[in-house]
Amino acid sequence: MKPSDPPTPSSSRAAEWRQVLAEYLGLTVALAILMAVFSLSAQHFFSAITLRTIANQIPSALLVATAMTFVLVIGEIDLSVGSVLALSGAVMGVAMAQWHWPLWASLIAALATGLVCGAFNGLVSIRWRLPSFIVTLGMLEMARGGAHAVTRSQTQYIGSAVGAIADTDILGFSLPFLVAVIIVVVGQLVLSRTVFGRHMVAVGTNQEAVRLSGIDPRPVKLAVFLITGMLVALAAAIDTSRFQSANPNAGLGFELQAIAAVVIGGTSLMGGRGSVVSTFLGVLIIAVLNSGLASVGAKDEMKRLVTGLVIVAAVIVDHYRHRLTKARTV
Amino acid sequence: MFHGFVTTAKLRTSECGPLRARKARFTPIPDLTLMTTQPRSDLLRIRPLAGLFAAWALLLALGTGCGPRESGESGGSTPDSKPRIALIMKSLANEFFLTMENGARTHQKNHATEYDLLANGIKDELDVARQIDLVEQMIAQRVAAIVIAPADSKALVTVCRRAQEAGIIVVNIDNKFDDAVLAEKAARIPFVGPDNRKGARRVGDYLARRLQPGDPVAIIEGPPNAFNAQQRKLGFTEAVQAAGLRLASSQSGYWETDKANQVAAAILTEHPDLKAFLCSNDSMALGAIAALRAAGKADTVLVVGYDNISAVQALLKEGKILATADQHADQIAVFGIEYALQLLETKSAPADRETPVDLVTAQGVEPPAP
Repeated sequence: MKPSDPPTPSSSRAAEWRQVLAEYLGLTVALAILMAVFSLSAQHFFSAITLRTIANQIPSALLVATAMTFVLVIGEIDLSVGSVLALSGAVMGVAMAQWHWPLWASLIAALATGLVCGAFNGLVSIRWRLPSFIVTLGMLEMARGGAHAVTRSQTQYIGSAVGAIADTDILGFSLPFLVAVIIVVVGQLVLSRTVFGRHMVAVGTNQEAVRLSGIDPRPVKLAVFLITGMLVALAAAIDTSRFQSANPNAGLGFELQAIAAVVIGGTSLMGGRGSVVSTFLGVLIIAVLNSGLASVGAKDEMKRLVTGLVIVAAVIVDHYRHRLTKARTV
Repeated sequence: MFHGFVTTAKLRTSECGPLRARKARFTPIPDLTLMTTQPRSDLLRIRPLAGLFAAWALLLALGTGCGPRESGESGGSTPDSKPRIALIMKSLANEFFLTMENGARTHQKNHATEYDLLANGIKDELDVARQIDLVEQMIAQRVAAIVIAPADSKALVTVCRRAQEAGIIVVNIDNKFDDAVLAEKAARIPFVGPDNRKGARRVGDYLARRLQPGDPVAIIEGPPNAFNAQQRKLGFTEAVQAAGLRLASSQSGYWETDKANQVAAAILTEHPDLKAFLCSNDSMALGAIAALRAAGKADTVLVVGYDNISAVQALLKEGKILATADQHADQIAVFGIEYALQLLETKSAPADRETPVDLVTAQGVEPPAP
């Protein structure tokens, strides 16, 4: 097709679908292979219960990974998500268990905590032009310290009062799972169909060019860190509800798990490229892997070996897929 | 004492000289004459932040780096002064160790005339290198005794042996040093602490009374490299075998609620007939309980934990946790300190001492049989 030919609507629609298919095919196949392997090696793995268990476990990881996708797309990083998760959960836990606040007020307190942490990350790195790596590393320590200070290092047991969030079922799916899926869909639409999304990609590709073309990259950055803070706090609320308790040590190393899921989904660490739906598949791959290895009863060292291998393999596969789609479009 | 400090402070300034010189070499020199007449102000003008940083580094160096030599010169504790006891803890982020340290601090306040306490912990429970640094700092500080909860039962032996050679009493609490390594280093370090294996056995035995022989159960272990996690697993396994239960699965939850939750959920799917979870700590028991609730089995599968953290009280009452073990975290460090004081006084040969582990159930606390 010559570039001057205007594409007919139907052929462009088909091309779009083909592109979408190519985009997600690799990850879907990888997921299917994993499911098949575990179904063959573990007796009860391939069952509705397993799927429900996974759907029950992933909402918090999905929310954090969606936020992390945004952060990576604008070419930044957020190392503080695990600690902010613990701090938001701790605030919620203390509010409910010790101050006897109602659920909604505690939830607002948790969300506010996440927003404040996100605002700190965003404002400090913008005002002093610091790399977000350093600022969020600082926040990683501060929020963890805060979580321990708020709870005095004691796990806060709340009980069934907080269970309402995780125990609400709609059409057989838990409320957190539905919320997480909605946020994934909205996140993908924001990223690929809105001006804000375009700005995010542009800032991640070439911040200077964005600035020179008259768009201020700073509000975009601040918005992404605020969204991250809020989604992380929401994830904290979900986990607190699921465990009916808040542990100040929650979310240790969560930032790396989230980054792994996002990178498996093909989002570039360099910024400017990413997809929330692919991140969703990345989270699923890690969840299936965790669940499958535990179902098989794999030895601990094997679990870590296999998980690491799958992460690297997924990124290599993505490298080839990326080159392939590039070659086709050129 | 004061005099000694002044001389070392001087020594420190001169020692830090080369550092400043090095910094100066990297700063651009606009005018040599200006540089020679006003070296310091010039430095500060060009690099105000660098200057501030250098000052901060200097303070830090004075605070920590010079400490050893200073106390080395002014000598350790004089006979009439109180002994200084260093308590070296594991992660203070862990409720268990925080309780332990707070117990020690309270004890010191009540016995302020008898000894001084220097309590230090590491940030991450597995940060062995940092803990070795801490022991070395305490050797340099010439404390009278070190009471240590080692992060690693092997890696810390060498440095503790060095402390002993420097004439410091060393008492091992919480996590016992590896016997083979102790023998190899010809070190005799007394252990004061609970027997995790016995404690887990008691919890497991209590659970077994509610089950039938042949019932499948699963263990959620702590980190595979942690000594107390290994001991608890052993105790649980013994109880399972003694009662003729079937161990369906045993996997690590790394002491963490969410990791234990993942593992427990997978085990439940794979073994739908499971009757009980034996969790190596209470945080992981919380994760197992969440998995049971999600699977709708909260009323049919039993859960036991370990440590008796404060959150467990409500769970015991609600019947969600059947039993847990209390190792008296607030007393472990105190026992260690008291033993160190006793050794300082009597200079007697050190021997191990076991501290009690209680079985905690909804019915109450059951101390160990004598």
